[in-house]
Amino acid sequence: MKVILDKIQYKRLNFSFKAIGEFSEGIHLITGAVGSGKSTLALLIAGYLQPESGNVRRNGIQSMQLSLQFPEYHLTGLTVSDECISWGCNPKSILGLCNLMGKENVSPFSLSRGELKKIHLTCILQKQYDLLLLDEPFSALDCQEKIELCTQLYGHKKGITIIFTHEQTILPKVDYIWELLDGMLYFRGAPPSAIEQWQGAPSLIKKLVKSGMTPRNVSYDEIKEAVCRI
Amino acid sequence: MIEIAQIRYRNLFINYLEIPAGITTVIGKNGCGKTSFLRICAGIELPNEGSIFIDGKLPRETECCWVNEFPDRNILFSRVFDEIASPLRFQYFGSDEIDSRVNNIAQFLGISHLLTRNTYELSGGEKMLISFAAALVNSPEMLVLDEYDSHLDYKRNRQIEYAIMNFGYKYVLRCTQHMEVAANSDFLIVLDNGIIKHTGHPNQVFPQLIDSPYYPLSWRVKA
Repeated sequence: MKVILDKIQYKRLNFSFKAIGEFSEGIHLITGAVGSGKSTLALLIAGYLQPESGNVRRNGIQSMQLSLQFPEYHLTGLTVSDECISWGCNPKSILGLCNLMGKENVSPFSLSRGELKKIHLTCILQKQYDLLLLDEPFSALDCQEKIELCTQLYGHKKGITIIFTHEQTILPKVDYIWELLDGMLYFRGAPPSAIEQWQGAPSLIKKLVKSGMTPRNVSYDEIKEAVCRI
Repeated sequence: MIEIAQIRYRNLFINYLEIPAGITTVIGKNGCGKTSFLRICAGIELPNEGSIFIDGKLPRETECCWVNEFPDRNILFSRVFDEIASPLRFQYFGSDEIDSRVNNIAQFLGISHLLTRNTYELSGGEKMLISFAAALVNSPEMLVLDEYDSHLDYKRNRQIEYAIMNFGYKYVLRCTQHMEVAANSDFLIVLDNGIIKHTGHPNQVFPQLIDSPYYPLSWRVKA
């Protein structure tokens, strides 16, 4: 199972980027500034956008899911219950897992954005996918839910999971780090050595590297542990 | 001073609360009432019961700018320049002043290159920056920001923090899930299922959250 970015180039007005790389099984983290092309790259990998040149090959991928940055873009159901059913899930069990029992018949738009994101991600994570693309999965979740999601993602390790995010504090344990920088996708490798090469690392991680306390991985627990060693 | 008394609205129940001038941040779990709290303070919604006074005035009598957490719900116009200029145009400012204020704020936020773009082509973070620019260009008395930072990277968040700290707004009310941002406030409100659990300066409030992920990670270096 592999996703290969074969010299892809994407252009839109004065925005462009190039990417070469190979995504193997495991959890990949892709970071980048606002407007660097994270969501565009997610759409290219999913095949919803076509590159100007080069191509994206999804070898041996039988199932794929893309979670967009904004959960409201995914909505098709008029009620929370319909929305869960549209993902092929049982509303009662999803709302139980989200601690939102009793919200079956309300409009998804009456929920807070965090609650909506939580339902959306819970529905997605009920199934295993060969390729799972998550665009800003942490945005809108509260601190506890972010930790919860990290645990679930780590348990979901089968297949290729690619997380596109600018989250600064609560991240899952990842296998590989990539970053979009000045119109180019860079592969930084596997932690812990990748963390030292990671130019767009969160400020706290940069501080840890500077003080010689590079965390073993980027997960909340590893960072917390490294912070306590200072 | 913002004075809130006997509020009942959706799941919120606030007996009495005084918010001093400065930067106030509301934190808490998803669905605890942060957005509802900000909406009634901004005057977007009226509470079912109770009162809110901002320096003796009702929220709807206060010059307030609001940034919604759903970036698409902030945007009215299709060109970025028109979107940022809109609060000034609605007040019949002259075109020279509008041009200069929009250009200044765009330059400050590093978004001058976006001014001629279509708003629907922007990324989520860029949309948020445009909404923020449209709020700042109006120099309001009160700025209300609903989890604006979840769409922004570190550098952009620092820029916004700088603007919030230095542009001299009397009241900034915001909510966030980034505790490092919350730590940079004058007053902190912790909501739990519609009820106020803690209030005070971050130095007083965060120690009570030390065993939770709400305690800022960088503070553990200090501890």
